[in-house]
Amino acid sequence: MMDYGDVVVCTPVTVPYERRSEKTAAWWLGSALRQLLAASGIDKRQVDGLCLSSFTLAPDGPAPFVQYVGVSPRFLEFLPTGGACGIMALRRAARAVQCGDADVVACIAGDTNGTDSFRELVVQFSSFSRDHVWPYGAGGPNASFALLTEHAMGRTGATREDFGKLCVAQRQWAQRNELALLRGELTLQAYLAARPVASPLHLFDCVMPCAGADGFLVMHRAKAASLGLACVRILATIERHNGFADDPIQWRGGWAMDADALWRQAAIGPDSMDVVQTYDDYPVISMLQFEDLGFCAKGDGADFIRRNEFGPGGNLPHNTGGGQLSGGQAGAAGGFLGLVEAIRQLNGQAEGRQVAGARHALVSGFGMINYDRGLCTAAAVLAV
Amino acid sequence: MAPPARDMAAHAGSGKLALQRCALCGRMQYPPREVCSTCLADQLEWHVSEAEDGEVLASTVLHHSHEPAFRNALPLCIGLVQFDCGVTAVCFLADGCIPRTRVRITARADPEGRTVLTASPAL
Repeated sequence: MMDYGDVVVCTPVTVPYERRSEKTAAWWLGSALRQLLAASGIDKRQVDGLCLSSFTLAPDGPAPFVQYVGVSPRFLEFLPTGGACGIMALRRAARAVQCGDADVVACIAGDTNGTDSFRELVVQFSSFSRDHVWPYGAGGPNASFALLTEHAMGRTGATREDFGKLCVAQRQWAQRNELALLRGELTLQAYLAARPVASPLHLFDCVMPCAGADGFLVMHRAKAASLGLACVRILATIERHNGFADDPIQWRGGWAMDADALWRQAAIGPDSMDVVQTYDDYPVISMLQFEDLGFCAKGDGADFIRRNEFGPGGNLPHNTGGGQLSGGQAGAAGGFLGLVEAIRQLNGQAEGRQVAGARHALVSGFGMINYDRGLCTAAAVLAV
Repeated sequence: MAPPARDMAAHAGSGKLALQRCALCGRMQYPPREVCSTCLADQLEWHVSEAEDGEVLASTVLHHSHEPAFRNALPLCIGLVQFDCGVTAVCFLADGCIPRTRVRITARADPEGRTVLTASPAL
């Protein structure tokens, strides 16, 4: 695959998450764009590309939104692909800049969360989910991930303690990140004693829906330098949808189809990653990413968790902002969370949780539990 | 409800389990669609039976529901079941249906007129 040349990513922004919001998605997305302009010093008229992701913007789509915020881009993408949308936005924005279709692309994702909006989102998520999953107790994503988790525990020998180890480490990171919503102490004992939600999942295995937005800018290095912006390079990316469709249950994600290509393009291996940001709506999915992206062999996920330390001071800093499990899942912004955190870490902008000397980061995404599995997988390797 | 789900539910209303089979390539598919997910043909037939056989792949006990109508029925046991004919489906699980249990799957319509599949231990 062609490299990304001198295209860079900069100015990670987060509109601070809130558990509930009466604001609309347009406010959250518009605020992310406002923060991008403020952080970069770029005039709104210079933003000639836009990648947008949201679940709760309806009835508006990307075209009504550009009028709403008064921009006139010559490149517009709408990526309603949940947990994979951040890396997908990055890939499209980078190629647009590289090929001259746009000079400055703003990538933003965000959603609101009213009192009943999560239920409304889940019930109408897709035709398969509405007609063939919802009638079975309306457990939503908790139920689907419970099935994948039970199967993965049987396959790998992973225990609740293993998943708890990941959750506790992320909470320790969150305590160093004022943008994370859940910052109270979480011990392994409290994790294990939490109320059951959908066995084997208990409360702290399940991501908390919230409102929020994240964003970043993609441009040529020279442009970023002229503005004095810290930036990171894109070494490699992958994307796959509906991978391994014939597997009767999802025991591997599409990353496994493309991981070799990812590391080959990056010309560096998983062992060289200074920070790792996996998609973590449920901890089992982080374990799948460790396996499928080559951090360990397939089937060794539980052992990998046992022999590494993921929290502050650990050998494998993982989900260093607290991830979604401690940060909250702001709808489509969940697909951006790991990416903006990786950019902050590589740019030395991670304040109280900065991993010293972080030069290489792996970010991965997982989106759209449609019927019985997540359909969209993506990953990127970034470097300073 | 999408049209193929509605057609399946009409069979379920009379206690029949209807699964789609492609008239061109012969593949079974679930959830039902308006095109074949293998060969994209739109000539899909209903394979109707009293029950299908299969095996439980994974199970969960739901202690939380987003729908008030289900909350009185909690906890509910559901699972992912692989049918011998090739499809997999989310089903309610009767007592004793843990992973790798051989099961028999039947269909009925719920009060909303939607298909619900239930897997019970094979006799």
